[in-house]
Amino acid sequence: MKYFPYVLKHLRRNWIRTLSTIAGMAVCIFLICTLQTVLDAIRQTTENANPSRLITRHAVSLVFNMPLAYKPRIQALPGVKTVATSNWFGGVYRDIKDFFPSFAVEAEDYFKIYPEYNIPPDQFRDYLQDMRGALIGRDIAEKYGFKIGDVFQMESMIPPYRVGRPFEFVVRGIYQGNSAGTNLGVMFFHYKYLYESIQARKGVGNYAGAGTFNVEVTNPNQAAAVAKAIDANFENSDVQTKTESEGAFIAGFIAMTGNLVALLNGIGLAVAFTILLVTANTMSMAVRERRTEIAVLKTLGFPSTLVMSLVLIEAVALGVLGGGLGVLMAEGLVANLHKMPFMGLVLGQFPGLSVSPFVGTLTFSIAVALGIAAGLIPAVGAYRSRITDMLRQA
Amino acid sequence: MAAVDVQKVRKIYKRDAQDIVVLDGIDLRVPDGEFVALMGPSGSGKTTLLNLIAGIDRPTSGTVLVAGTDVGQLSEGALARWRSRNVGFIFQFYNLIPVLTAAENVELPLLLTKLSKSQRRERALTALKIVGLADRAKHYPRQLSGGQEQRVAIARAIVTDPAVLVADEPTGDLDAKSAEDILNLLETLNREFKKTIIMVTHDPRASSRAHVERHLEKGVLANSSERHEVTA
Repeated sequence: MKYFPYVLKHLRRNWIRTLSTIAGMAVCIFLICTLQTVLDAIRQTTENANPSRLITRHAVSLVFNMPLAYKPRIQALPGVKTVATSNWFGGVYRDIKDFFPSFAVEAEDYFKIYPEYNIPPDQFRDYLQDMRGALIGRDIAEKYGFKIGDVFQMESMIPPYRVGRPFEFVVRGIYQGNSAGTNLGVMFFHYKYLYESIQARKGVGNYAGAGTFNVEVTNPNQAAAVAKAIDANFENSDVQTKTESEGAFIAGFIAMTGNLVALLNGIGLAVAFTILLVTANTMSMAVRERRTEIAVLKTLGFPSTLVMSLVLIEAVALGVLGGGLGVLMAEGLVANLHKMPFMGLVLGQFPGLSVSPFVGTLTFSIAVALGIAAGLIPAVGAYRSRITDMLRQA
Repeated sequence: MAAVDVQKVRKIYKRDAQDIVVLDGIDLRVPDGEFVALMGPSGSGKTTLLNLIAGIDRPTSGTVLVAGTDVGQLSEGALARWRSRNVGFIFQFYNLIPVLTAAENVELPLLLTKLSKSQRRERALTALKIVGLADRAKHYPRQLSGGQEQRVAIARAIVTDPAVLVADEPTGDLDAKSAEDILNLLETLNREFKKTIIMVTHDPRASSRAHVERHLEKGVLANSSERHEVTA
């Protein structure tokens, strides 16, 4: 401990270089920490998916809708408890930067399947009685200052749902979450409202199919068999289906962006390797320009192991400072990611996104490990150096 | 007992395939409290001999006894510990740590001891008082003149109260006035604090302050020229 002030003084010696290295390390750790937090959220979301829930979609792509007539056929299958139609609306409130997820759902069935949405009964009753009614999450209400009874308009980004005028909604309910992971940034409205608006425009209901059928099974252990039965039921239809567990559906949705896990980990590794080189260079320069001082320390009787330790502590201090700063930056960014345009849309799907103690500790440890790795070669060099050689080179 | 007893010491460096004999059978005995000046042309082996006595280099053959310890037989770790307790080294270019104040520089060797922070600071200030720089304790090396820097370096060398001080051209980088001050200080340390001093120098004025002058020529020690009695 008595050597620590000595180490700190050396770090302050070339403060621009030290700050640059710490900043580089912080950005590296910030990036890794943020990426790992996103990966962690993806993993948790898929792991925490309800095993009694299935999602049925068009076999070709989520982009295509399924006939509404499928619903009673699915409902009639053994093991199926509830079925609800749900369509991604893609509505934009005011401006694209104010985007939040919105779904047209069959509320009575949908909220039986998703009891985690805690809607006050009187508000839910009002919602059911109003065709233009909207249920919004607490986060949306807080962000945009919505109150019960407020009227607002939204226009969909999806061409078939653009009916020549914006959809008008009335806030009838503001839901909370019954569990910590509930997404409070989603809006729901009546599927019937969407369907009839499209019908009124075109006179045909071609576009108003079902985006997904959200299915609740009676026995989670039979979910796979039920999923298979649903798909088998439409195997010979024009529109075949793909049914999967909620977890698999989420994972598949995320996988549409490519191998996200490999990509994010790859970026993290590349960044870490780069900062390793930068820090190693900093430490090498710091030791090289202090050759005489290292010789002096050894002449004064500092053992080689102590001199090596001082260099290593200096490198670790860079890692600790950069790592700590990086984790703090990541925590700050992650906490506000949902407010960002576009990025918030994607990451808003992971409610309660925050740097977990595990990810924070992991990335901080990476910073310390990078510091040790970067300082190791210069430290060993200082350990091995002979006093007379270093004094001669000075 | 002699403070320093160098017996039949040879030092050979290897440059590529060639052996370069720097010291060739040196015998040197320095009694306690002696002030010895080692002189000789460049490349004669003065600094190498000083390094061997200070325990920062090892002889190829022969024995270097300092305060009764065969320096060449100690392991690296033991040698470092021995240096911290028994030898004070004064460099030509002071070699103070620029990021540390004068007091912190002087305190540096005491970090290896079990002294408390306040005890270390007190001893460092005492050493600075001895060299006449107590009022510059909080100054950084860049805020000091060359002569003052060398005095801080001397304070650093004496702070652990070693028996032997080795000085490698301590006035080589100083103007005449500062060099005079440094030589006065070394004389005081020798006379009043009974330090055995071995000083390498090119400067006849510096060597004239020593009790004994020894001349090295191509790695061989010439006869001594004694000036006056040792004040032991």
